[in-house]
Amino acid sequence: MALALDDLKSKKQIADRTFRGMTIAGGVTIVLILGLIAWTIASKSSLAFRTEGLSFFTERRWAPASNVYGALSFIFGTSVTALIAVVLAVPVSLGIALFTTQVAPSWLKRPIVAMTDLVAVVPSVVFGLWGIIFLAPKLVPVFTTVSGWFHGVPILGRIFGPASAGRTFMTAGLILAIMITPIITSISREVIETCPPTDRDGALALGATRWEMITGAVLTHSAGGIVGAVMLGLGRAMGETIAAALVIGSSPAITANLFSSGDSLPSVIAFEWGEATSDAKRSALIAMGLTLFVMTLIVNFAATYVVNRAMKRMRGES
Amino acid sequence: MNISKKRMGAIAGVLAISLIGAACSSSSTTKTTTAGTTAATTAETGAPTTSAAAGADYSKLEGSLIASGATFPKSFYDEAIATLADLAPKLTVEYGGGGSGKGRSDLQEQVVDFAGTDGVVKAEDIAKFKGGEFVYVPTVIAPITLSYNLPSVKSLQLSPATIAGIYQLTITNWNDAAIAADNPGVTLPDKAIVAARRADGSGTTENFTKFLKAAVGPDAGGTWALGSGSTVEWPAGTQAGDGNSGVAQIVSSTEGAIGYVDLSDAKANQLAVAAVKNKAGKFVLPTLEGASAAAEGATIKDDLTYFLGWADGDAAYPIAAQTWIIAYTKQADPVKAANIRGFLTYLLNEGQTLAPTIDYAPLPESLRLKAIENIAKIGG
Amino acid sequence: MSVVVNTSKPAPSAPLLADLSGVSARRRNKNAMMTALMGVSVAVIGILLALVLGTVVRKGWSIVAGEFPQWFTKDIQLSPRRPGPGMKAAIVGTIVATATATVIAVPLGIAGAIYLNEYGKRSLFARSLRFLTSVMAGVPSIVMGLFIYVFWVVPRGVDGLNGFSGALALACLMLPIVVRSTEEMLRLVPQNLRDASLALGATASRTTLTVVIPKAAPGIISGSLLAVARAAGETAPLIFTIGAAKHTNWNPFSGTNTSLSLQIYANAKESFPTAQERAWGAALTLIVLAFVFTFVARSLSARLSKGGES
Repeated sequence: MALALDDLKSKKQIADRTFRGMTIAGGVTIVLILGLIAWTIASKSSLAFRTEGLSFFTERRWAPASNVYGALSFIFGTSVTALIAVVLAVPVSLGIALFTTQVAPSWLKRPIVAMTDLVAVVPSVVFGLWGIIFLAPKLVPVFTTVSGWFHGVPILGRIFGPASAGRTFMTAGLILAIMITPIITSISREVIETCPPTDRDGALALGATRWEMITGAVLTHSAGGIVGAVMLGLGRAMGETIAAALVIGSSPAITANLFSSGDSLPSVIAFEWGEATSDAKRSALIAMGLTLFVMTLIVNFAATYVVNRAMKRMRGES
Repeated sequence: MNISKKRMGAIAGVLAISLIGAACSSSSTTKTTTAGTTAATTAETGAPTTSAAAGADYSKLEGSLIASGATFPKSFYDEAIATLADLAPKLTVEYGGGGSGKGRSDLQEQVVDFAGTDGVVKAEDIAKFKGGEFVYVPTVIAPITLSYNLPSVKSLQLSPATIAGIYQLTITNWNDAAIAADNPGVTLPDKAIVAARRADGSGTTENFTKFLKAAVGPDAGGTWALGSGSTVEWPAGTQAGDGNSGVAQIVSSTEGAIGYVDLSDAKANQLAVAAVKNKAGKFVLPTLEGASAAAEGATIKDDLTYFLGWADGDAAYPIAAQTWIIAYTKQADPVKAANIRGFLTYLLNEGQTLAPTIDYAPLPESLRLKAIENIAKIGG
Repeated sequence: MSVVVNTSKPAPSAPLLADLSGVSARRRNKNAMMTALMGVSVAVIGILLALVLGTVVRKGWSIVAGEFPQWFTKDIQLSPRRPGPGMKAAIVGTIVATATATVIAVPLGIAGAIYLNEYGKRSLFARSLRFLTSVMAGVPSIVMGLFIYVFWVVPRGVDGLNGFSGALALACLMLPIVVRSTEEMLRLVPQNLRDASLALGATASRTTLTVVIPKAAPGIISGSLLAVARAAGETAPLIFTIGAAKHTNWNPFSGTNTSLSLQIYANAKESFPTAQERAWGAALTLIVLAFVFTFVARSLSARLSKGGES
């Protein structure tokens, strides 16, 4: 009897270890894949860094014909469009997530969830085409009007400058915002849903309004998860290729004017790779990919730091 | 047969070619029905396609061919693949496009069986081709148009210097004196010019800028300062479109726009095209005849490479573009080699009569015969 | 069968609000305004979605419905300028590539996430893994395609262009999404459930499999679905990896393939009205396909979580 139990125990242990081993193997595989990607990109881009050096990051000119490869305009474009996308998408996504979980009657919940999921299944190239054919032409008068409002206003007048075309930083930012909304919404919603009912009931019982309950109980509970969701969205916005490429205008530029055409890192890779025959140009394009990689790295470092600090502060307060 | 009927109803012209082609594949003379996308004129060329390969039996070809490369001739290759499919039902040919550069590097890495390219492989890259020696087989030629959108201007003439000014934004209004000088007697509107160009790296951009460099570049004492290449440093303020169709779309949707677009896309979008001043000082419209005339005067090198832009001759259109298919001479698989030869043979025989119906000009006869000789080197 | 734990779902619906009559007007107004803004957010995304779908349906319906059965049963027209239906090759290609990518990425991603949350926690390896997956989420989709092209396709030559190569690129794209969302969901499973299971003598693996995962299943599924939907709609990673077939190919390991997203992009680049129509038709097909799939998987997950409760 005791023997059988021991046998069972060791069997259990084997199963336990095997399972654990499998999960570790999963983790190791992921790291290996990423390492492989990083190594491939790094080795293929070394030529550009060797020949261009630091000027790769500080040179704003992109002139393959004269062997000048600068990434600055593209770094700028990627940052600006991703920033616009996040600024626009985060409030909307949180609004949807909160509305679904805290406000909507239960019969309305599923349709809203289905709707945001539907946004996620619209392929990126369709957003791009829709952006060119439908959105961009309609945005020109809007941009002109907005630019008129801010004309002469310091700073804002520069940011919302005159618009010459429909394919601009702002257009790309808008399209990206729509694309990342379902990601941020979906994860935020799941996170918010797990907020213990006792916390919420407690807040309400203490006389809080719904909004106070949300800020006091729901959002504090979910902050970490929501930041994670935003990071995923930001990563997507920075790496999205086809949709942004089609609507950003493909004119490398560094300007405060959000209503002017620009270009971004993934977009230039997609559009220039087909005709990149020289080693120098290919390497420069891969180096753009590596640059984006590093940018994501920095953003993630920053986010981790912010989340950790927020967590510490929360614990300190409670 | 049911399918054939359906197709015929929809595009009688193109289908006629394939059916006639099928019927006459053993005869040495082919009757051509010209059915352009805009005009449906019938012309009888009766051009002899005599050669060792004419009337080849394609039905024995079997297997698959994978290719990528230039997008400029893609709609010609696609149509040829579709008509050849009726003659060689067991052969599948896949031409993925992606750009001349992609084609060349795909062939270099042996990821494709053959590749299309608008440009020549650079000398320093030849050694990188994993499969060893390769040959150029020219296939068709076509003009690159300057399409514009000015409803009030029915015909427009442009000199290379004016085109350079428009794309360098030194000429920004349609009523500019330079444009007026090219167009005596034409009332030009007071309208800002929107210069449309390619967003993606492109063989079309390369041929267009090579023409400008040759005509009005620094060496020619002109003002074109952007050099040439598949991507040049366009001034901010020009508008970019993805592919020929993207540029055509900007032109067709923007009054005052001008863009360089291949003839096939210009016609499909029903754009107005400008006549361009050639080396002989004549304004020539972008027609297949103009492209052919440019090819007549071109200097063909031994490996069958040549450049058509800024060609000599009164009737030559100055921005004509050439394109090749490149393939390795050494082929490990004889069946594959036969398939490549079969497809290329089709392009240079039946394909040459198909080309004008879809806005590509056939090769001059002398070049076509040389091209056929090059086909024989593949897998030989 | 499973260890009995309290699986009552938190907050199935909006909580009952307390009587706000005693609350100051300022607070009440702020509450009303914020509630209204939340409603507006839903409306905004709803309107945008309607605009996008409206355009797709208006431009794509005629070819999909007008050529009804053939659109789904015939291969793709060889020459884009010719009219005529047929998108079967791309529908099959999308299914083959996405399914293969899912089979690779989802188990791997979930395994990684389980390690992160159940075993690794705050260890150095876990922290770096967590960090690296966020970085991976930022690798542009086109670079994933180039990576697979350089690393996988080129060594295999012409035979390298196939559904599996495309699936590898898509899997790389899906992986970080699956890991991040799964970990997020696992993290939110209350610790006391694990403790209860362990206290009853279950092993760690058993606890994970029978308590933690079922509890987190709806969230994991919805996160994985996002990844699948993303993969199905991606164009850039496939351009260099999958080929440009126009004939149907069910085999991911041999022969080139294509996908709906590639067909959308390729046809949209052609000027011919026939190709333009085909692009929108393919877009409509892809959206419907993805939505049907999402709907099925959602109902499945809903049934799963209900089954767990009874």
